[in-house]
Amino acid sequence: MANLLRISGLTVGYRTSRGMVRALDDVDLELGSEEFLAVVGESGCGKTTLGLSIIGLLPPRSAKVTSGSIDYKGVDLAKLDPNEMRRYRGSEVAMIFQEPLTSLNPLVRVGDQIAEAIVLRRQRKGSDQRTVGEVMQRLYRTDKSGFSRWPRLRSKIPRDLRDQVIEWLNLVRIPDPGQVIERYPFELSGGMRQRVMIAMALSQEPALLVADEPTTALDVTTQAQVLRLMKEIKDKLGTSILLVTHDLAVASQVADRAIVMYAGRIAEDSNIYDLFSSPLHPYTQGLLSCMPTGTKEGSNLKPIPGSIPDLTLEAVGCRFQPRCPRAMDVCLQKDPTLMNVKEGHKAACFLYER
Amino acid sequence: MKDDDGMVLRTVDLKKHFRASKGLNLSSRSKTQVVRAVDGVSLSIPAGKTVAVVGESGCGKTTLARTIALLTEPSGGEIYLDGQRIDGGRESHREVYRKLQMVFQDPDSSLDPQMKVGNSISQPLKGLTGMSDREVRKAAVESLEAVGMSEDYFDRLPRQLSGGQKQRVAVARAISTHPRLLILDEPTSALDASVQAQILRLLVDLQKKYSLSYMLITHNIAVAGYLSDMMAVMYAGNLVEYGPCSDVMSRPRHPYTITLINSAPVPDPWKRNLLSVNIKGEVPSAINPPSGCKFHPRCPYAQAVCSEVNPPLEEITPGRWVACHFVEKTA
Repeated sequence: MANLLRISGLTVGYRTSRGMVRALDDVDLELGSEEFLAVVGESGCGKTTLGLSIIGLLPPRSAKVTSGSIDYKGVDLAKLDPNEMRRYRGSEVAMIFQEPLTSLNPLVRVGDQIAEAIVLRRQRKGSDQRTVGEVMQRLYRTDKSGFSRWPRLRSKIPRDLRDQVIEWLNLVRIPDPGQVIERYPFELSGGMRQRVMIAMALSQEPALLVADEPTTALDVTTQAQVLRLMKEIKDKLGTSILLVTHDLAVASQVADRAIVMYAGRIAEDSNIYDLFSSPLHPYTQGLLSCMPTGTKEGSNLKPIPGSIPDLTLEAVGCRFQPRCPRAMDVCLQKDPTLMNVKEGHKAACFLYER
Repeated sequence: MKDDDGMVLRTVDLKKHFRASKGLNLSSRSKTQVVRAVDGVSLSIPAGKTVAVVGESGCGKTTLARTIALLTEPSGGEIYLDGQRIDGGRESHREVYRKLQMVFQDPDSSLDPQMKVGNSISQPLKGLTGMSDREVRKAAVESLEAVGMSEDYFDRLPRQLSGGQKQRVAVARAISTHPRLLILDEPTSALDASVQAQILRLLVDLQKKYSLSYMLITHNIAVAGYLSDMMAVMYAGNLVEYGPCSDVMSRPRHPYTITLINSAPVPDPWKRNLLSVNIKGEVPSAINPPSGCKFHPRCPYAQAVCSEVNPPLEEITPGRWVACHFVEKTA
């Protein structure tokens, strides 16, 4: 598997009223093409910040990449200015979010939104020089300035575009796509909206799809359908997927590999099978024994004591040390780095120092 | 499920319907529609046991909980708490809430942000029991300690606590009157995995210590499986299956239960159940549910009768209740 993405030493801070919060702290990560990687962790561990930094959508005023690089096909995405980043966002790296209703424009029919994305894609690829306004002006009612974003009452997407939109909707298994393109986002169910988002992201033919908790707002039966769809897409189109999730069970169902994050750092990086059969980091072990399985009589549910640390405070030593059942003296003094323990299995823990 | 012996709570054909108006109501022709959120639920909760009510969003499980807790007036049916009928103002709320308390999903909205933790616990305690200030303080500290927090937290504000601690306070407030029944509405859904495990352990310990009965409302099958003795599966306002939790989970009989349990992700990469489960359609709209059995458009076993007659919940083997015309097909 060739490397598609190589993140090294990435550190991201947020300015807050209580001081600087280090959301990502020296993160190293590689992602191969056609790989399904899950980023797992609890709230505040930095998993969403990681996704947002890859696509260049960190909040510009409060967040800052203080060091490190995001090497995507030889280009450092962390150093691009907003205009250059726009060439990569969508067409190379696309993202879907937890709540599709806030990602879709509520005033524009879903078919038009996907069509607009496709026009932008053609333009970026240079296969069509016309701007969105020129192609879509039949879509939008024009005013004196020549272009207004108010949709017409009935969408009239140009024929060839319409076929493409329907094709993408078919791919994400939306029943009756000819009808669905005429609908507004509020007229669709949560699962359908998330499929529309996925279709819109895929219409850009990205090499990497970042999915931030895409099924957290969905019901379990719908979640199963969407996860299955993502797996199919990876296999069919060869898109790499970076799935950000708080749910280890979800990760175990679809991912090839997973990284476990804690307090802005990567605790463990492993293929999915080793992670579940022989977790190395005490935090991963703790997370796994936190999963309720079985019943209250015959169960071995072992909570991790304490709670996540305050990231505004400068930490000395391992961030997990106060909650760690196997903490040693060294854990108080030094910060463990991610090291190779086995082939394809890394952990940041002094237990494995040689 | 007719006997009050050993039952803390019993509902008979409980209904809660809401009126929903369609559109802007500009013309007289726009008619009011009825959402049958809870549509005839008969459920019993044995003393000292946990009954989980599971289902997807919109199935009516939270409305069921709120109706039982008298937070909303039932549209029909009966509710008995310890053999006493409590709905329709037959018993004073003070009496009811001494025996029945509720823990909500999000402690940020169930705790007053301006009120110190101690007051959040003692105020309702005083109102419900009429104890003296000294006794109330003692009892409040006792319940704080029961949830693993010390008296030091008495004067803190909710914003000074972590999410898990806030939920502990909510539990402490609920158990302070030594109720018979706790209604837990998604008690761990807002919490992280490691904190969820702490609260689940706490709930199990408290149940043993105070012989509490729980009614657990959850969409999380794993949480239900961990905490519960009995499981009731709800779909579009009706119970479709009821029985011992382990039986329902290992041998679900209603086609919907089968779908629901197969779609719950298992934390095991060698058992990728999600990728093999075949699910049709989505949860129906509550305003215009399908006729007959509400699951029939999604059901692999559906026949003509399913779209006409809503099957009643029937006991198929002792203790196992299923509402399906073709229950023998899933044997």
